[in-house]
Amino acid sequence: MQSSRKLLVAFLAPATVLYTVFLLAPVSLFLAFGLMRYDAIQLFQPVLTLANFGRIVLDPFYRGIILLTLKIAGLTTVCTLLVGYPVAYVLASGRSAWRGILMFLVVAPLMTGEIVRTYGWIVVLGSEGLVNRFLLALGIIHDPLKLLNTQLAVVIALVHILLPFMIFPLISALASQDPDLARAADTLGAGRMRAFLEVTLPLSRTGIMVGSLLVFTLSAGAVVTPSLLGGKDVQMLGQTIYDLVLHTLNWPLASACASILLALQLCFVTIQIRANRRALRRS
Amino acid sequence: MAEPILVLDGIVKHYGDVTAVGPLSFTVDDGEFVSLLGPSGCGKTTTLNIIAGLLQPAAGRVVIAGQDVTDLEPRHRGMGVVFQSYALFPHRTVFQNVAFGLRMRKVPREEIRTRVRRMLEIVGLPGVEDRLTDQLSGGQRQRVALARALVIEPRILLLDEPLSNLDAQLRKRMRQELRDLQQRVGITTVFVTHDQDEAFEMSDRVILLNHGRIEQSGRPEDIYDTPASRFAAEFIGNVNLLEGHVVGADGPQVMVAVSETLKLSGVAARPGFTPREPVYLMLRPERIDLHRQPPNGQDALSARIRRRVFSGDVVSFELDMDSGHSLLCTKPSQDEFRTFAPGQAVWVVPQACRVLPRAS
Amino acid sequence: MLSAEADLANPASLALQPDLSVRSGGRTLRAVPGTLLRLVVALVYLFLLGPIAVIVATSFSSTHSMAFPPPGLSFRWYGEFLRSDNFTSAFRFSLELGISASIIGTFIGFFTAYAARRLMERRGGVVQSLAMLPLLIPHLLISISLLLALNFVSLPDFASLLAGHVLICTPFTVAGIIASLDGVDAQLETAAMTLGASRLTALIEVVVPLVAPGVLSAFLFAFVVSFGDVYIALFLAGPGTTTLPIEIFSYVQWESSPVIAAITSVQIMMIVVLGLVIEKLVGLRRIMRV
Repeated sequence: MQSSRKLLVAFLAPATVLYTVFLLAPVSLFLAFGLMRYDAIQLFQPVLTLANFGRIVLDPFYRGIILLTLKIAGLTTVCTLLVGYPVAYVLASGRSAWRGILMFLVVAPLMTGEIVRTYGWIVVLGSEGLVNRFLLALGIIHDPLKLLNTQLAVVIALVHILLPFMIFPLISALASQDPDLARAADTLGAGRMRAFLEVTLPLSRTGIMVGSLLVFTLSAGAVVTPSLLGGKDVQMLGQTIYDLVLHTLNWPLASACASILLALQLCFVTIQIRANRRALRRS
Repeated sequence: MAEPILVLDGIVKHYGDVTAVGPLSFTVDDGEFVSLLGPSGCGKTTTLNIIAGLLQPAAGRVVIAGQDVTDLEPRHRGMGVVFQSYALFPHRTVFQNVAFGLRMRKVPREEIRTRVRRMLEIVGLPGVEDRLTDQLSGGQRQRVALARALVIEPRILLLDEPLSNLDAQLRKRMRQELRDLQQRVGITTVFVTHDQDEAFEMSDRVILLNHGRIEQSGRPEDIYDTPASRFAAEFIGNVNLLEGHVVGADGPQVMVAVSETLKLSGVAARPGFTPREPVYLMLRPERIDLHRQPPNGQDALSARIRRRVFSGDVVSFELDMDSGHSLLCTKPSQDEFRTFAPGQAVWVVPQACRVLPRAS
Repeated sequence: MLSAEADLANPASLALQPDLSVRSGGRTLRAVPGTLLRLVVALVYLFLLGPIAVIVATSFSSTHSMAFPPPGLSFRWYGEFLRSDNFTSAFRFSLELGISASIIGTFIGFFTAYAARRLMERRGGVVQSLAMLPLLIPHLLISISLLLALNFVSLPDFASLLAGHVLICTPFTVAGIIASLDGVDAQLETAAMTLGASRLTALIEVVVPLVAPGVLSAFLFAFVVSFGDVYIALFLAGPGTTTLPIEIFSYVQWESSPVIAAITSVQIMMIVVLGLVIEKLVGLRRIMRV
């Protein structure tokens, strides 16, 4: 039916235009910048060079940034997984009365945005904040701990902010499992713990993968949280890109950093897929 | 003879590598009630959708009242369609549902009101105009769907298994109501179903489909009495099918050797059976005469009753022939037949056998 | 990778339909959570909601300190917020930007969702996955790229900011409206078309009323995404086009005062209300279906 096709084209046009003109073209352009030579006056010279990538790889300053980014993003991912899994498990198996409210309580903080939540941690971790007051009151410490401007603060806040991104894919994966599988393992004598480890956990693999990818990506590219909570101790890839773009105005180098960020993402996915395949082969 | 109102000519439809339908050709006359009957996957719903214009055929034409509509959209074809799930608009009242088609045709408001009310009465639903369709029972919703399709005065009414969502009793009642309604209004109807009883009860003509092709087409009696193939024989009612070979022919009568010792003769389903050709001998269970003693002047076969099943209005017997074959025999539930018992020796006289082709 | 992408659509639509019984059919996992597990989960929720509660508490502090618990209660910081031109104009701008971005994002999302789910016979899944693209690309990158593109094509500040926000909202509107569309029987439109409606008419008469709650909740969710965004505005905001989060970010880098707590509390309360409305809408829709 021809009119259907006309309608199809018309309906897909807005999104296509939006994505091509405002997303794909600019991003490709920016990534290509990584290969341009930096010029202090004109922003760049249209000369192809690998100098930017070379600098990132060879300069210990930038190497350190990448390593720190990997460390913090990795820690955040692991922690969100450990903390989020029990929540996802309970929510996926819970009764409907509580479930709605509990799910809402996971989504709501997410919707307030990164600034709000980072600010919350500034208050909580401050020298007069909740944590210090609590520990002082219990007599565990005598002077307030310096919790702000540390890597620890950044990780804690990132875990807090990104927890929903881990919880939702996990819930999705867990809820779509056939409950009879774990039940069968149990009746075959496996016991609850083993049934979980051998049946439920492996089957939630996709959820773990998706959640980890989201958390890793978002933490590796974070700017606001490390800036506000990390102080001078913490310089991550996202912040570096921010500085290079807005302060130093070295766009080629910024672009190269962004490419590295994407490359880290890609490596993470590949490692996950390989590990997944190996686990599948083993079982 | 008036021109048929619906013509399907060489319709073909593929789904990927599979040919779901075709080549398929048939016609429907004005006012006729035709059923498309067949097992799941035989292509009957696909064919209906092609008639309605909801699917495009890969080849072939659909002609309505002499006009080629193959390239026309559904809304220009003048059809009324009733879907299996009824597809009533849940956010609209009964009145609004039925009035929808008239609104699309820009019929003036007063006229809409009159026509909708009249149609609701015709289908037997006065007084529910303002209810939401969600609040109706299954049978009522079916009538609303019908009213909605008929009020636009379509040239052809298409029904896709409209009764399959109703419980058994309601289903039987609706069959008759639907048929009465169709005859009163006089609208040409194409009815899709997998239920053989339904098709037979309601139709002027039945088109039996198998794997997207017409197996046989004709009046219910004709298909029942003279099926052209094993599929047709088995799909309708109960049947005894004995495998055998042709050993002789005499005009339309063919002699079939079912085994060394058992030879029966029947009417050939098609001309041109050759000697030693593999065939089926077909015998309807109710066309078997059962006797306690060998009857005079007839060739009777000896058999023993293995099982007897009482089904209220009918008694069925599973018979073991001396030749080793089994036959199913059904008799009306009258005293003379009720007294036959398992283990009893009987004498069997087949009436009206048919010979069907058998592919080896 | 494609299945991971398809799953990536889930967080968005899950976030829009927090009720799981729609997805899992109410199934339960075998191991009923023991008390230890429940305790752990309760602690996690404390962790999740703690900072939020602390912010709200601090916003009522009567003193300048960020101590918790606050020494006294007062509305002074809310007053200071309302008196500050910077913050109130940033708040207003975020509202305008949010509403514009979500209106556009909802329209684009609707057309794309309908095309993917109704107008495409088989490849609809590809369109759905492609629509999720902005979720896979760090917002940082999207924003900087738009900034770069501005060097070559001059656009008013608001336009580029708007474009960026529409980009990050669209995956959510697409996912949310697709979820709504799936709850509407496609045969209803087919029936309408046999009765004389064109596809477009069927869309307006049948589909739109039935997906309205879903579309509205997609709109609200897009608004929330836009309002809370930091990264797009980080690079694209300019003088006169500053969003509230950016204003807060600049302020917090140099000063520390409970006025921020007041502002973020207002934002939190606004978001909670919107969230409840969304919940109500989706819930209402389910009631209608029954």
